Formats: sequence, C-alpha cells, structure tokens
Amino acid sequence: MRKNVSLILGIILVLIIIAVWALSFIYMPYPPNEMSIPSKFLKPDIDSEHILGTDNFGRDILSRIMYGSRNVLLVAIGSVTLGTLLGIFLGAVAAMKRFADTIIMRIMDGLMAFPGILLAMMLVTVLKRGIQGSIIAISIFMVPVFSRLVYSMILDTETLLYIKAAKSYGSSRRQIFFRHYIPAMLPRLITQFSSAIGSAVMIETSLSFLGLGIQPPFASWGLMLSESRQFFLGYPYLAVAPGIAIIITVLGFNLIGDGLNDILINRGNSNE
Amino acid sequence: MLSYVLDRFKSSIVVLFVVSFITFFVLMIIPGNPAQLILGTDATPEAIAELHAAMGLDRPLYQQYLSWLLDLLKLDMGRSYVYGESVTVLIARSIPVTFSISIFAMILAVFIAFLFGMISAIKKNSIADYFSRSIMQLGAAIPSFWIGMVFIVYFGVKLKILPVSGFVPIEQSFAGFVKSITLPSVVLAIGEVGTLLRIIRSSMLDSLKQDYMDMARVKGLSAGKIYIKYALRGALTAPLTIIGMQFAKLAGGTVVIETIFALPGLGRLVLTAVEHRDIVLLQGLVMFITAMVIIITLFVDISVMFLNPRIKKFQQGEL
Repeated sequence: MRKNVSLILGIILVLIIIAVWALSFIYMPYPPNEMSIPSKFLKPDIDSEHILGTDNFGRDILSRIMYGSRNVLLVAIGSVTLGTLLGIFLGAVAAMKRFADTIIMRIMDGLMAFPGILLAMMLVTVLKRGIQGSIIAISIFMVPVFSRLVYSMILDTETLLYIKAAKSYGSSRRQIFFRHYIPAMLPRLITQFSSAIGSAVMIETSLSFLGLGIQPPFASWGLMLSESRQFFLGYPYLAVAPGIAIIITVLGFNLIGDGLNDILINRGNSNE
Repeated sequence: MLSYVLDRFKSSIVVLFVVSFITFFVLMIIPGNPAQLILGTDATPEAIAELHAAMGLDRPLYQQYLSWLLDLLKLDMGRSYVYGESVTVLIARSIPVTFSISIFAMILAVFIAFLFGMISAIKKNSIADYFSRSIMQLGAAIPSFWIGMVFIVYFGVKLKILPVSGFVPIEQSFAGFVKSITLPSVVLAIGEVGTLLRIIRSSMLDSLKQDYMDMARVKGLSAGKIYIKYALRGALTAPLTIIGMQFAKLAGGTVVIETIFALPGLGRLVLTAVEHRDIVLLQGLVMFITAMVIIITLFVDISVMFLNPRIKKFQQGEL
C-alpha cells in the first residue's frame, strides 16, 4: 500500500514543477529580470499584481521562480542524462573488456572518493561558471555512480543462462549489450536516474547559492536564496518561495525513486 | 583477517594515488598563468616569467606532478597566494572549527537516528513509523542553507539566544564555543539523520527476523534486553559504516554551512580558493580532505570488522 503512496505523491510533486516549467514558456506575469525600484520589497499578497511579492530590485518573485525552474531542470536533467550515458558506457566497457576493467574502475573509485560537492566545486573552478559549467561538473559527479551500477549488474547477469546462450549463438558484444543487458538493467537504471535528479537539483542549488552556478541576473532558486540573504532579516518572505520550490522538486524526484525502487526492484518483499 | 586489512590498505593507497592524479591534472588545465594571477595585471613580463620559473611551472607536467606528490608526503603543500601563507598552516588552523561542528553534528544525528530508527523498526507500520519516515524524506529534501537561514532568523535574531555567525575557540570560552557551534551542528545533523535512520531501520528489521530473536523471546527476556542486547547488537554493522562515512564527509568541510554561519573552517577555505582560483590552495585542500576521508573510511571498515565477530570468523574461514 505505502509503496504506491510514495510514487503517487512523487509524481504529483514532479507534475507541479513540470507544469510551472511548461507554463513559463507560455506565460509569466512579468519579465523575470525586469527591475522596478518603486515596487521593491512588496509583500506576497494573493490579490495584488505580485502574488509572491517582489525582491530588492522590484523583480516579480513568481516570474523568477517560474524562469528559475527552466535553469534548475535543464541543469539537473541535462547533467544526469549526460552522467548516465557516460556511466553506462564506461561501466559496460569495464565489465565487457577485461583489460579496461582495472583502469576505468579505479578512476571511478577515485572520483567517488571526493566527498560531497568538492568534486563539483573543483570542476567549476576549471570550467566557466553558468549553465554549461554546472551541467558538466554535476554530470562528472554522477558518472561513477552509474558506471559502478552497470559494471556490477553486467558481472551479475553475465553467468545467466540466456546470456551464455546468446554468446554461444555468436551474438556480438553490442547485440548482447543492447538486446539483453540493457533491458535487464532498465529497472535499476530508471530508479537510480530519478533519485540522481533529486541530488542534482540539490547540488545545482548549492552551487548557485555559493555563487558558483548560474550567474546573475539570471534566475535560479539557489541564487535567489543567496541574493535574499542580505535582506532576509527584514524580509523573510524572500526565502520562502525558492525554498519551497527546491523542496518540492527534490522531494518529488526522491519519492519517485523510492516508489519505483519498491515496485521494480524489491517487488514487495522488502523491509522498506 | 590480516589479508583483509592489507587488501583494504592497498586499495586505499591506489585510490589516494588516483585522487592525487585527478586533482593535479584537472586543476592544471585551468586557463591563465598562476604567476600572472599572483603578481597582478601590471607586473612586467620578465617578473612573471621569473616567478613562473621559480614556481617550477616551466617544467614538464609529469615532473611538476612528481615533485608536488613528494612535497605532499612531506606535508608541504605550497603557499596560498590569496592568504600569502603556507597551505598546511591554513588547513591546520581551520581543522578545529570544522571538526567541532562535524563531531557535534554526528553525535546529534546518531542519537536521533537510533532513537527513531529503532522505534520505527520495532513498531513497523505504526503511526510512529510513518511519522519518522516522513520526517526522514522531508529532511533529505530541505536544502541545508535554507534551514540555516531560517534558524538564523528565528534563534539568532528573534529569540536572540544563539550567535548567528563566527566561531569561538574552546580555549577562549567554553560556553561561547558551545553556543557558536550549536546552530551549524543542528543544521548539519538534520541533513544526515535521514540516511542514517533508513539504514538503522532496515538493519534492525533484518535483525528482528533472525532466529536468535525468537530464542530470546521464548526465554522470556525483557523487551529492553531483547531489543538492545540482541536486536541492536546484530544490527550495528551497517549503521557504523555509514556513520564513519558521514563523519568523514562532514569533516571534509561543509562549505555551505560554514558560509552561512561565517565559520572559518575547511569549507570556507575551499570556497575562497575556488572563488579566487587559488590553485595551490585548492590542490592542497582537495588532497588533504579526500585523503582524510579515505583514511577515516579505512579505519572505520577495519574497526567494524573487529567489532563484528561474524565478519572476523568469516575472514578466518570458520563460518
């Protein structure tokens, strides 16, 4: 019973964010970067023109939240997709070509050893700050997770009868990989993908909060929180909307990951 | 047994080596001349060339790497150009700050996670179980910098009971020290409780299913004895490993929290190094932090093995 609750709740939360994202292409109350000093620091008010209020430059917070969803989702989904593809490739090469195994997997161990966002911060130093830099930095952070997963799953399935049969029929490595390994790995990959997006959102907002991600004047939820810090004591509402946006997104993707994990992998016999 | 320790030791050395390689070469592809960065834009080309050579930057990369590695072993990590001080000294000065908040945060997180994790497992599917799991999910989704900001306003500004920024060394004033690390530690602990709670709950559930639990119940032991002496003991391995990893991660610098609370710890140093592109400082920091994490993890893995008789026996081939 509960398993479906996680999944359903997660899907609802993610749909809310996707709706906000989609709407931002059709309609935003104000241009997100339009400043209007006379109307700065307006408090949130449902009946007013600025439902979520305005910031220190008089920019409409709702519009910035909506615009920010584009950057957050672009970075999170872009980086995880890139990281997943690269991870699958490296993991598969390591598992299927004996000599590559040691080199690739040791590099992955090394990448895994950097704690927290240290690796992403180090990469951002080298790359240009902004959307591109964040995508590359976070995707490299994701690569070892996926490559280890694929590596161990291939080694586990390798000895199964149908793989042996396929090999004895003379199927090529590529055929075996796409026809047999990928379908067998799909449930785990999808689960991992969803949870990884949750963490990618967290890393992106942290980087932006530290001033290392998306650069002003563009909107990103982490950046909005960071900009609100100076005025936060007098105008605490500035931090409410971006905070809630982040929580909904991360919680949504995490719950979907958990729900899928229960349905696709543990199939009800788990402790969770 | 000894062979397991040696194996873990060997693989840690390999990982350390790979990490040093990645750190050095990733940061070496940075565009811009470090000598130019140090001397500023109005330095003469001769002065830049001279410093460039003095820093050994004109040598082939592999030579630079080897000498950097050798210096590292001597704990000589070079000089930061932002601070104009030795990187080793800067790190040594930041350690007390970061370690204080990490240790305090872990104690807090362990306490809360064990309490709720055990209740959750013992009363599986009860309201208490749902409650603690919902809190866990929410805790994992709330950004720490957001909680930090809320705490600052509430406890620091509205209630005025705790300082909102800065660090008071323990030698200076014990009460001041405790106050200065309370908020940051609590925020960190909130971030770590979720993972730990989940692991404790599932190992506890596993342990409750074991035959020896039935035996203990049949013997008519008290609930406290059953849960603490039997179930919890059998369920410790995985949580201990996670606690070690989490502590190592926190001790590696909690950039965001240290920034919000203006704490002069390792994380702050990392941010300064990244912002100013202080490559020498960043290389030293990344190497130091990652090495520390690897060593703590190694230490925890080996201790867990000694603590868990089953692993020990398995390694000795008795099981």
